[in-house]
Amino acid sequence: MQDFLELAVSATASGCVYGLIALAYLLMIRPTGIINFAVGEWAMVAAFGGYVLLTQHELPYPLGMGIVLAFMLLVGWVTERIAVRPLVEKGAGVLAPILALLGVLVITREIISVSFPPDPLPVPFAVDIQYYKYFVIGITLAVFVAAWLFFEKTVWGRSFEAVALNRRAAALMGINLSRVTAFSFAGGAAVAGLGGLLVAPNISAHYLMGVPLAIQGFTALVIGGVGRVEGALLGGLLLAFAEQFTIRYAPIPGGFAQGVPLLFLMIFLIMRPTGLLKARA
Amino acid sequence: MRWLGAFLVLSGAAFLLGDYHNDVYRKMLLWVTLALGYNFLFGICGQVSFSHFAFYGIGAYSVVILLFQLHVPLPLAILLGVAVCIVVALAVAIPATRLEGFYLALATLALAQLFVVLLNEGGDITGGTGGIANYRLPAMLGLQIRGPWYTGVIVFLLLLTLWVLVKLDRSWFGRACRAVRDNPEAAAAMGIDVARTRVAAFTLTSALAGVAGMVYAFVDNTVNPPIFGLENAFLLLFMVIVGGSGRHAGAVIGAVLLFLLPFWLSPLVGHHHVLVFGVLMLAAILLQPKGLIGLWDQCRHRFSR
Amino acid sequence: MRFLGFLACTLFAGSVFSQNTIKIGVITDRVGVSKPYSEPATEGVVFGADEINRKGGVLGRKIELLIEDDQSRPDISAALARKLIDQDVVFILSVSLSPATQQQQTVTMEAKVPQMTPMNSADYLTTQLQNPYFWQTGPLGSVQGATLLAHARSKNLKRVALITDNSDLGQAIGKAFKGALEKANIQIVADEVVARGATTAMPQMQKIRAANPEAMFLAGVLTAENVLIFRAYKELGVKFPIHSSYNLSVPIYETVAKGLIDGITFVDAYDPDKPEVKAFVAAYRKAMGKDPQNLHGYGYDGIHLIADAIRRAGSTDKEKIREAMQKTDYAGVMGKKGMKYTFPEGKRAGFDPDGMVVRVYEKDKQGRVVYVGQK
Repeated sequence: MQDFLELAVSATASGCVYGLIALAYLLMIRPTGIINFAVGEWAMVAAFGGYVLLTQHELPYPLGMGIVLAFMLLVGWVTERIAVRPLVEKGAGVLAPILALLGVLVITREIISVSFPPDPLPVPFAVDIQYYKYFVIGITLAVFVAAWLFFEKTVWGRSFEAVALNRRAAALMGINLSRVTAFSFAGGAAVAGLGGLLVAPNISAHYLMGVPLAIQGFTALVIGGVGRVEGALLGGLLLAFAEQFTIRYAPIPGGFAQGVPLLFLMIFLIMRPTGLLKARA
Repeated sequence: MRWLGAFLVLSGAAFLLGDYHNDVYRKMLLWVTLALGYNFLFGICGQVSFSHFAFYGIGAYSVVILLFQLHVPLPLAILLGVAVCIVVALAVAIPATRLEGFYLALATLALAQLFVVLLNEGGDITGGTGGIANYRLPAMLGLQIRGPWYTGVIVFLLLLTLWVLVKLDRSWFGRACRAVRDNPEAAAAMGIDVARTRVAAFTLTSALAGVAGMVYAFVDNTVNPPIFGLENAFLLLFMVIVGGSGRHAGAVIGAVLLFLLPFWLSPLVGHHHVLVFGVLMLAAILLQPKGLIGLWDQCRHRFSR
Repeated sequence: MRFLGFLACTLFAGSVFSQNTIKIGVITDRVGVSKPYSEPATEGVVFGADEINRKGGVLGRKIELLIEDDQSRPDISAALARKLIDQDVVFILSVSLSPATQQQQTVTMEAKVPQMTPMNSADYLTTQLQNPYFWQTGPLGSVQGATLLAHARSKNLKRVALITDNSDLGQAIGKAFKGALEKANIQIVADEVVARGATTAMPQMQKIRAANPEAMFLAGVLTAENVLIFRAYKELGVKFPIHSSYNLSVPIYETVAKGLIDGITFVDAYDPDKPEVKAFVAAYRKAMGKDPQNLHGYGYDGIHLIADAIRRAGSTDKEKIREAMQKTDYAGVMGKKGMKYTFPEGKRAGFDPDGMVVRVYEKDKQGRVVYVGQK
């Protein structure tokens, strides 16, 4: 029983990180339809930001975190300007920006890879290690509540929804499409960065950390469905629980246990291709 | 006749090259073959799949296991290998037709990861992480095909793949695939069985990838898990996009360029070559979303006026 | 930066002497998964070659290194081996991924060009292919397992846990450890794998705790994932001792796993008290302005072993070099005090099975040698 509770907390914390990455995807997919696989690399950039500010320069955690997140907003905004807007303005469809962002993924990783040593680097915990999981869970819940309130209760959030439903109609309603897109990328980068910063004390900052996070986050997103904000969190939690409880309790040799969540995912996709939560009509 | 000419020129080139260049050449031809198949699946039929490279691996591993652990004769091993690919492809494709766009991508991504897990955990059957080595192509009719002659086999494979794909592309099946890609609802309204078209395209291109894998197995006479890792699936996608998706020539250009790029860049810019690769990728998409083949079209257009 | 400058100098110097140099090919990984290990080893190779050249070279000729980057992609690696052979190298030194080294072998075997890896430790490299032109001087996974076990045997172990990661080397070492444990009739009560990119090792460590082993053997080689294991170990408050593969000999753990590694024993091929090591560290520091790691030592030994073989062969004839290499009897930086690399009875794995040491982390520092060899 103690094991079970311990593992539940651990899986919840992991699930929160997956959920944040999934939310980052979702913030960009809702208004634009663009799936940005570079979110994993954004998480990595924030983790390295954490290393530079918190480990090397030993800034107080809130200050360091603030600077990293502000920087991530900028990264998202610049990325949108360079890699997305020109294509959207040309009317190139959804696939072109997705692929351009894959280029951004490669560039981001290589910039990190050539500017830092190849070994994993430490990032400090915000609070004492035994409370850290609760810290991660708390911050994630706050972010999700904020995102939910934003989409449900504010005019701005509503305009995001309108864009998600119908871009042309939204433009006719006087919504500034490019501003919404820029804002969603900046927000997506900040949320992905937060996920990276939160997970970095555990997994360390290293140049190969991005792609696994991008895949885990995307899986969470697909499980939860892109229709609703809370789906991202639910998907993340389900994925983390599936992963960790199979390893712990399923009577399968260790090497194969990592394949079980993959199998689970394939079956899930086939049974429920639209995700757990349906978008509201 | 043109096909024969192409075969003679392409395989003749192998005899003019040294060992190193011949090796790069034949590996490049294999990538071109894969890119052609992937282009049909992704560019023409509009299915984003990441399992294409896994099928390349399934083909390679199954032929090696059949030949050297189960001691099946070569022709039968090839047929059985193709059968394995088709069965796996159907098993993935039939349920996956319920999935659209990036959901299919995720299901195939999971399959590709699962494949590598199985290779690593396969014990003596797959040789685990070290893979299988110490075998060579059985002699056929008393002949041992090797060196530049084997490149001829690869050229044959490439042209055969291209021929099949071009014929299909120009038939009703190709038109059905394009219709399914552009607008599934409209395609269904036109009487095209969308699900069946998707399954057929997926199975066919996966089987072609499997055959290419069988040929690969005897290039260096060794198979191991890192060769079939996930990064390669992304590289394949990049190749088709940079070249120009939906066009056979585009796939060829993309595969040639991206495969050779590290060989050219590495001596020039050292370990920054991947960075340059990323910048080129981004620039290619931003400047010419139709890929390099689009650039060529523009040039031709201008001159013909 | 300094390394790049140094590299440029070496390459430049190479081109000046190119008429009369001995060309040695180096296949490394500068961008892929092996980069953290390949890069320091390559620096060691470059430093070693420069040192040999400053002392007059080999057979009166300078060594010229031709360095290629295979990105840890085995098929590219094999193509690069052919490229180096076309450029007339007399020896190929691989410090890339084990499967990449393996795929190069299919080329060197056919072309009859000597090849060696000073660092790869997967056992299959010399057993899977009967390639008389290939040697491996890294400490084998089986040697690591046996050495750790010899040290642990004094504790009379009956039940142990085994944990590794899903990288190719982690799997290979895990397999070797398993073999060593089974041979010693020790029961493996838990056999766990942490996947690359995992965010926690909690479920694996819980399972191990539930199995109640007397000790845990760690075969993983991915630094980030190993840190996850240590963190879960600490969080779960378990007390059984950890015996680790040589991956823990990489000094990065002193910073990235701070506070987690006190008391962990690990097998190492590097004894800081050994006179050769002291001389190497001093020379390296003087030339490069920083301290070398043990990984530099592998590369440094590799190039010296090759130079030694060419010297004894008395010519750059590949067949003579092959014969000389097989008769190697050389003491380098790596290994316990007095260890020599040899290839007895036609074996081509040259790291003395008794040549490893077991060390222990004291606080966050790699500490003293607590056990030597496997007897």
